[in-house]
Amino acid sequence: MAAIPALVTASTKLHNTTGLTDESHDCQIRDHVAYCRNLLSTKALSSISRDESVLDPHDRTLIQDGILSSISFFSVCKSKPSRKRPMEHCLGIYYPRGRLWSKAVRYLETFNPVQIRYAGQEFRQLIEYPLLATRPIREAILRLDPSCAVFTSTHLLFVQLCLRAKAYACALPVLDKHVCHFPAPSSRASSKSSLALCAKHESGLSFITDSSALSATLTYKDYLLYFLYGGMIYMALKEWRKAFHFLGVVISMPTVGSISMVMVEAYKKWVLVGLLANGKLSSPPNNTPSHLVKLYQSIAKPYVSLAQAFERGEMQTLVAEVDAARDIWIMDRNMGLVSQVVNTFSAHALVRLRKTFAALTVAEVLEQVPHLPADPIATESVIAPLIMSGAMNATLVHSPSHTSDTMLRLSGKPFFSQVSHESHMQVRFRKEGQLMTALMGSLEETNRAMALSDEFVDASSKGQAWTTASEVNQGVGDDFGLDMDEDIMGG
Amino acid sequence: MELPPLSTAQLEQLAASNLPPSQLFEILSRYESDACLMVADSGHPDASGGDPQLLSLFYSSFFFAHLLTNQVPEARALTQRMPETLRHQDPSLQNCLTLLRAVWQTQHAQVYETLRNLPWPEPLYPLVRRYESFFQDRTLIAVSTSYEAIRPAVAAAYLGLDSQAAEKGDQSIIQKFTDCGWTWSPESQLLHPVPITVPSTEEQPSTGIRDAMAMLGSRAS
Repeated sequence: MAAIPALVTASTKLHNTTGLTDESHDCQIRDHVAYCRNLLSTKALSSISRDESVLDPHDRTLIQDGILSSISFFSVCKSKPSRKRPMEHCLGIYYPRGRLWSKAVRYLETFNPVQIRYAGQEFRQLIEYPLLATRPIREAILRLDPSCAVFTSTHLLFVQLCLRAKAYACALPVLDKHVCHFPAPSSRASSKSSLALCAKHESGLSFITDSSALSATLTYKDYLLYFLYGGMIYMALKEWRKAFHFLGVVISMPTVGSISMVMVEAYKKWVLVGLLANGKLSSPPNNTPSHLVKLYQSIAKPYVSLAQAFERGEMQTLVAEVDAARDIWIMDRNMGLVSQVVNTFSAHALVRLRKTFAALTVAEVLEQVPHLPADPIATESVIAPLIMSGAMNATLVHSPSHTSDTMLRLSGKPFFSQVSHESHMQVRFRKEGQLMTALMGSLEETNRAMALSDEFVDASSKGQAWTTASEVNQGVGDDFGLDMDEDIMGG
Repeated sequence: MELPPLSTAQLEQLAASNLPPSQLFEILSRYESDACLMVADSGHPDASGGDPQLLSLFYSSFFFAHLLTNQVPEARALTQRMPETLRHQDPSLQNCLTLLRAVWQTQHAQVYETLRNLPWPEPLYPLVRRYESFFQDRTLIAVSTSYEAIRPAVAAAYLGLDSQAAEKGDQSIIQKFTDCGWTWSPESQLLHPVPITVPSTEEQPSTGIRDAMAMLGSRAS
């Protein structure tokens, strides 16, 4: 245990960065990483790796040392089972009731976000430990890269856990941020920026790279699943428009040849969510290849038929479609969504009245939308919540006499409501503005990365080669022409 | 920020405090893992291990924190995350489920009935009263923007007031509405609401829609 003071001394030196350039600090941290990894892997000091007191939250120096605590933590985590420490014990201490649970949670909330960039492998293995809860993982993701713009394997793990734990709102701080990048290949990251890892980076793209190991190797399926699960979380929260957007990302993913089952799954949900959000069968995003649209429509035919019946306003056909394909909805686990579609049929029919009428009495509404309760008071109790929730832009006007019908005015809200609407729009504009600024930053980052990437340079040089070749060919062609002419002339 | 351990006293203090709903929600959400640990201590995730009264108070308080922050679908998810046995057996959590159903279905009368007449544990009273007031305020704002003219009995029902007295023209009830700027027409016996505008908490002083449009213009250029 005498080694612990040595570790603390080494760690203290690391904290003293006054007067150091980023490059010197970077070298110092890299040396420290090597030192820690070496120290904790030696047999003589293996006792440290098994000593949970290394992670004692009261020892601020160790805990604040992101590298040491990460590596120590992982060393403790990966301690092998033995006769004295059977597998159940090794795993059990990381379960919520285990001794290391609170230390793990505390660690994820307090680690040094700069130093952790040097210990990506240990960090990821700790965070991907399947027994840790959603909230600490969320805090760790946001602590590592507050913009969340770089997609990592932890993003997928996190949304999966949120979905499984039914902790939907917990996922929003991550889901609401736009994913703009994948971890850059290390060659690109090193060429595009000479900044040291510990320097101040404008974007996580500079330090979340292939070589940082902060993300596992990603496949296109990971990306699809992230957006599918994200869409399902928004569906659970009834944020239909956001769900629609997330599922739209999945279905418009470029593919070569075969279509992924994840995309088909997403398309089925996308059709139903589109009905709930917009009341109609929407067109797929513009960037969806036409052959994919045809494939989707043939594979998910019952969904398309259901949507067409909904769009035509035919309640009986809709119910018949639901009954006919009940087994399919159940098998696809979309029965809940289908039920919600049926339940919102009347609401969307009411909203559509606005296209034709400026005002009508509740009795006239009953004639137009026949599936509402026959009693005008009950009908009013269906219409009023729609207006109150903002789903329907209308007002109700009671008449002086109880015998007269209530009037439904669809010609827009009065002035004061518009003022309120305007103030809400201002807030939305401001939010959108901030979002656009963030997106523009990410776009610039992407442009810069693409311009300096090996692929771009290769493509550019190929392009130049093609240009040169075509220029040469053109010349050759001209020569051929001349030859021909000459031959003809000669002939 | 370190939180004191989860305890009945701590929950009582939180319920009685006048913390903004978002802060209350944040603090209680940080206690959820502690509550899960207590449940897990019983050895079975569906059992109500630990202290059932403490767990009941925690989950009920957390449920109200969801409603106070207007997170109704997430409140429903919370009821699915609760230990099943506790949810089925605890009267306070059963009341929460009844309330959730009424809020979900926008049955105003049922919401007031549940909040006022069901037996809630005493430490939870401040949150129950707070939610009643919150629900009334939200409904008043919604009615003011949804009706151009409304009969007093209907308006009273929305706000959990005495509908019958309102129908008979009870002046104290009419006055509650006129105090909000609504006008009362004795001839037609109708209230004319004035839409209540609530500035968003994120809203900053602005010179109006022009600023927003200018902002959009600068984005476009």
